[in-house]
Formats: sequence, structure tokens, C-alpha cells
Amino acid sequence: MPDVVRRLRATGELGRIRLSWEGEAYHPLVDHYAIYASVDGADEALLAQTVYATFVHSGLGGRARSVRYRIVTVDAAGRRSRPSSAVTGTSVESVAVSGAPIATVGSFDHKSLELALAPNGYAQFPTRFPNDVDFTHGVHAPGTDWAYLHPGPADAWAGRKAHRFTLRFGLDAVPAADPWLAIWLIDTHATNPGTVTIALNGTPVRDVALEKGATRGSLEGDATLPGTVLKPSYVELALPRAALAPGENTLTIDKPAGSWHAYDAIGIFTHP
Amino acid sequence: MIPLERRSFLALTGVSTAAVVLGTGHPAAAGYDGKVPPAPFTLGVASGSPLPDGVVLWTRLAPEPLAADGHGGMPRRPYTVHYEVADDAAFRRVVARGQALASPELAHTVHVEVRGLRSNREYFYRFRAGGEISPVGRTRTAPGPRDTPTELRFATASCQAWYHGHFTAYEHMATEDLDVLFFLGDYIYEYAINANNLWRQGVPMPAPEHNTETVTLSQYRLRYSLFKTDPNLQAIHAHVPWLVTTDDHEVQNNYADEWSETGITPADFLRRRAVAYRAFYEHLPLRAVSLPDGPSMALYQRLGWGRLAEFTMLDNRQYRDTYPAGVVTDNSPERHNPDRTILGAQQERWLYEGIARTRATWNLLSTGVVMAQIDRDTGPGELYSNDMWDGFPANRDRLFAALQRSSATPVVLSGDIHRHVAAELKTDWRDPDSATLGVELVGGSIGSDGDGAETDSFGPLWLGNPHVKLYNARRGYLTGRLTPTELTSEFKTVPYVTRPGALVTTAARFVTEAGRPALNREV
Repeated sequence: MPDVVRRLRATGELGRIRLSWEGEAYHPLVDHYAIYASVDGADEALLAQTVYATFVHSGLGGRARSVRYRIVTVDAAGRRSRPSSAVTGTSVESVAVSGAPIATVGSFDHKSLELALAPNGYAQFPTRFPNDVDFTHGVHAPGTDWAYLHPGPADAWAGRKAHRFTLRFGLDAVPAADPWLAIWLIDTHATNPGTVTIALNGTPVRDVALEKGATRGSLEGDATLPGTVLKPSYVELALPRAALAPGENTLTIDKPAGSWHAYDAIGIFTHP
Repeated sequence: MIPLERRSFLALTGVSTAAVVLGTGHPAAAGYDGKVPPAPFTLGVASGSPLPDGVVLWTRLAPEPLAADGHGGMPRRPYTVHYEVADDAAFRRVVARGQALASPELAHTVHVEVRGLRSNREYFYRFRAGGEISPVGRTRTAPGPRDTPTELRFATASCQAWYHGHFTAYEHMATEDLDVLFFLGDYIYEYAINANNLWRQGVPMPAPEHNTETVTLSQYRLRYSLFKTDPNLQAIHAHVPWLVTTDDHEVQNNYADEWSETGITPADFLRRRAVAYRAFYEHLPLRAVSLPDGPSMALYQRLGWGRLAEFTMLDNRQYRDTYPAGVVTDNSPERHNPDRTILGAQQERWLYEGIARTRATWNLLSTGVVMAQIDRDTGPGELYSNDMWDGFPANRDRLFAALQRSSATPVVLSGDIHRHVAAELKTDWRDPDSATLGVELVGGSIGSDGDGAETDSFGPLWLGNPHVKLYNARRGYLTGRLTPTELTSEFKTVPYVTRPGALVTTAARFVTEAGRPALNREV
């Protein structure tokens, strides 16, 4: 009989729970691990089959979800192990859920489809956005004015240069606490995802190295489809309220290094 | 790496117990007769790796070849499969018979290593399981090591994306008089199959379990099953023994050893490589020495056709270095690192020893990716694809040095690019007048990329390299007729594949003289 996996662990992150385990891979040869999950107390169901010893249960959305997992090992002859002992993980809640929106572009839904040029029109970027994206909240529309793909200097099709995406938004008054920025990505480049530099009204906020994706988000836009290879990732961080002012404020996202990333949504929220 | 000769011996003497029991013709296969589900030979028969005294015979029991769990609709128990080899297609003169075990561990495939046959002869074979009889296959043995046959007729094939088109090329190839077929990689593709890429007309959309990138053993098995349901693929397997190697899509696009372009960690990727290699072994007529152990598969091998030709089957994926500077196409200084290898140190040593030893007139080297230098910058700059041999110029230089010390005339057979290309292999790529040490014949795809055209936007790039003598962007295959004095190579094309029924054309014919390699175009 195939071995039961050991040391099953679950680590909650924003929108996803990372699983890892240990187990003999080759003798007997593992066909796959069948991962069973019970989400928020619902009935246990087959979640996924993978040959890897890791799995990212993604697409959990912005709410905190509690998931109980067990794994069955299936070998090359079709024999099944008894289930592993269970482990429970809880995903981290997004400010897109817990906060109140100040300005948002697109829906936080693991899809790029509502954004401009989505899901695969990146080749039109240089002609449709010759001066990059400059989006004013309340004036512009995501479907025409915020490109789904943010090119980087590694992208020949976008002129091999740094591109800036700008989000302008209005404030009646500076909030009492630091607001939070949420950038959800449906995918990034697999080997060269690069970094983004975030600034608020010209004040540098942070440089963020993006996670490696699957290099598919330039071509397809729905990370909720079964069997999708897209690898969503998330950037959420506090914006210094000292850099804000009443009236129009300007958030800039520069891409000084790497290839493209593909947006799901972007938003600024008051922190609860 | 143990040389093939020694590894075969070990397997046959029972050292590798698992391999012998698992479908390779050992007496331990007896005693598992019983009721077999009806019509289990849905995926045909095949033969491969011909030696002077034997050949590998393959089949699989799969009454429901597209059962989603990858087990072909077979109960989870072993079955005895009986085989017969005969001089004639009617099996009046049976010269060998025996049995092998079809077990669920290997998806009820069998790989019978028949020995004791006579050299340089045609044979016919078939299988029986329970009361079920398989289709008949034709195969042949190689000439003896000291014989000099008057000719060898071969074909090459690669890149058979089932979903992109019909295998009309195989339909025509199966009418040719062939001794061996060299398969040069991309037998399957790992991509999800759905409305975006199903260009093959007249077939139903495969079930949802095919609409996912293959990762598990079940998924890879299912992918082989789907492709092997094609009647023309079954016909060409039954027509001629195959020698096979892989390229990248048997595992994942552009992979290099344990490196994946989609960011999978090496530890996880090796688990995937293990199941991908297992499914490859299961579905092709390979010897037991190639049964993978975990993520390792002994695939590279050397066979011969008497004194006429040596066959060197290379593995250009399992041991290769990753991109020199992290990108596919560049001309980085790191490309020229003398340590870079596409074959790995062991395979390189084995290769150069073989080249030094051979007494054959011709050396046919099979490799998945293009070996000739192809500068992809049509202007004054230089750009190279690091996924091909161009990513490993130091390895290519070492190989060329070894080939220049040998009296055998090198002929490199490759695929990967879905285009017919013929190139002269130069001692100095920058000097068109420098000596030509061999020729490379790149066979176009069987199905990948759909209908194609006589040429396309990449044509000027390839033909901009003066040693490239042919570029054709149609689907098709290559045939070669090798004699002690010359090689006649023909590039065959079909005008379309998304619909069945296309006729075949000879797009180009070249003659290459032994000892004076060049591409002399006749057609």
C-alpha cells in the first residue's frame, strides 16, 4: 500500500492556504495525492489531485476561510492509502473585505476580465496606452482605462522600458489612520516577475518584489476556472497618512525591473 | 550510466527483478490468465529498438482507453499476455512465442524483449489476452554487426499535437517501405485541451479531464491514451520499429533537468518528471533498462545497422543546464561558459567514446532540438535560442571535435520547431566556405501548429543563416535512404491537417555523399 503522508501543514495567507507534506514519492511511485477539504465546516470533498508535495489552495477570496484538510496517496497501480491525519488552516482576511473602499479599480474576484485589453490584448498596449495608464477614480472606467497587463522593462512588445500606472483619487479629509492599498494580481511572469515601486503623492512608499507566476495571465484572465495554471498573488500594505492631503491624491505604481504582471483589481481602503 | 549492452544483460539475467516481472517476458508472467474485458487492444501494437537478434514488442490492455483514472478500464489485477512472432503475416511459421505480465503498476502495458531472432529480417507479431487477439504488427531485426547492408530506409517524426490536426502524415508514412522510424520528441503535449486548441476537425471535444495541464500520472497516462487512439498513429507503430527520444513536452515546455519555467520547485518538479517519464516508458516500445527509477530514465542509447550506420539516440532534456542568463533568447557572455552542457557530463563521455569507436560509414545522431547555429537577429546583431543546442555552444564544439576525429559521416536528425529545415553543419559558422562536417535534417511536425504554409514569418530568419538550405512551414515527415555511398533525404509535406485526407508531396530532396557531407538539392 502507498505510504500515508506525514507532517501535513497548513499556512494561511491572504486569499489562500499553503499546504505541504512529506512522503515517499518513488517506491511505490505516487500517481498523485488526492487532497480532501472541508471549507468552513461544509462536507469534505475532493479539492485537487497533484503529484507535488505542496499545494496552494488559492482563490479563497478576501474573507478569512477555515479549511480542514486530509490527503490520500494514490500509487501507480491505483492503490489508495488510508487518509492522513487532518490539519486545519485559516486564510488571512483582505483589507478589500475588512476595510471601507476609498477608491477601487476592478473587482477583487481573481479575474482580469473587466479590465481594458483583457484577457489577451496586450499587443495593443503601446497604441491604446502610449502614455501608460493614468486613471482618475470616478471619471475613468476599468474596462477602457486600466490595462489588465502592466508591462515591465523586460517586455520588448512594450518598448523595453519602465511603465507607470497612476491612480488619482479624491479625499474630503485625511483619514485618522493609515489607509491600506490592495493590489490583487491574477498572474505574473514565471521567471522574471520583477518589482513594483509604489509612491503616494511623490513620497516613496515601498518597493515590492512580486511573486513568480505562471506566465499565462497575459493570455487568459480567469483564475477561478478548474485546472487553471494562473498563479494569483497579492500585495497589501499600509499607505502613510502623512503623505495624503485633502482633494486629489495620486498613487503611482512603477515597474522598474522585470516583465509584466496581470491585474485582478486595485483599491485603497480605510483600515478597520 | 551503464552502457546499454551491459544494462540489457543485467535486466535479462534477472538482476532488475521488478523490471523483469513488469511486462518484459519473464516466466513469472504465467498464471494470470482469466477473463479479460472485451476488446482490450484499443491502442494498437508497436515494436522498437531493433537489435540483430531481437526487438521490443509493445501493447497495452485498455478496453476503455479514456477512462479518467488512466487505467484504461482494466481491473486492478495483473493479466498474462501471450505473444507470437512469425515469419509471415498469416502466422503459419511462428518462430517465437511467450508471455508477459500486464500489471496495473504499468497501466497494463507490456514490453516484450524478444531474442533469438535472425538478423536483418522482417517479422510479424501479435498478442493474445484471454480470448482476445490483437492486431498484427510488422517489425524487423537489424543486420549483424559485421554485415554491410545495401541500404537503410528510415523516417523521422516529431511533435504530434493530436489536438492541432489529423495524423495524415503518418497515414502516408505507413505506405512507405521503411526499416526504422526515429521519433525525435514531443509524442504528447502537456497543455490543457479545450476549444482554444482543438483544431482537429470531426472529433468530439475531449472530456473535461483533458482540459488541464498534465501533472499526475493519471493525467499523463490519459494523454498518451488520447493521442494513441489515432488510427494513423497506430498504423505507423504497427508498420515499422521505432527508436525514440523525448524533447520537452513529454514533461513540460522548455524544462531543463529539474528546472521548470513555471516556477515549480525542483523537489516538486522531479516528482512530476518521474510520473511523466513513467507514462512515456509505459506507452512506447522501450527496453526494461529504460524503466525509470524515480525521476531518472536511462534513455540515451546506441544501436547499429551493421557497418552501414550507427544510431545514436540522445537525451537532450534530462541533464541539461538552465538558460545561461535566465532568458530563452540572448547572446549573453554566459552562453559561452565552457562548462555548459546540454547532455550532461556522463552522456557526453559516453557519446564521444562511441563516436571514437564506431566503424560505421554513417553516424545518425537523433536529438530533440536543432543543433545547427541559428542567428535569430536578421540585422547586424546576434541572438540565439538557448532552448536549442545554440544555448550550449561549448557542448556543440566538443561534439564537433569528436565527430571530426571519426571517419563516419554525421547526420543529425532533430525536430522541435514544426518546420522542415535542412542545414549544413559548419566547422566555422561565420565562414560559409569553411568545411562542412555533417548535415542536419530537421523534420517538420506531424500535427503541431495545424495546417501551416509553405513559408511563414520565421523563414527569412532561418534562411538568413547561409548554412540553412531549406525552410518549409508545412506539416509532414522526413524519409532517408542510406547506402554505403550516399544518403537521399526527402522532406514530405501535406497541405493541411485540420481536415483529414490531404495528399503528400515531396517538398525537397537532397543527396549527401558519404565522406563528403553537403546538401545537394535535387528537388
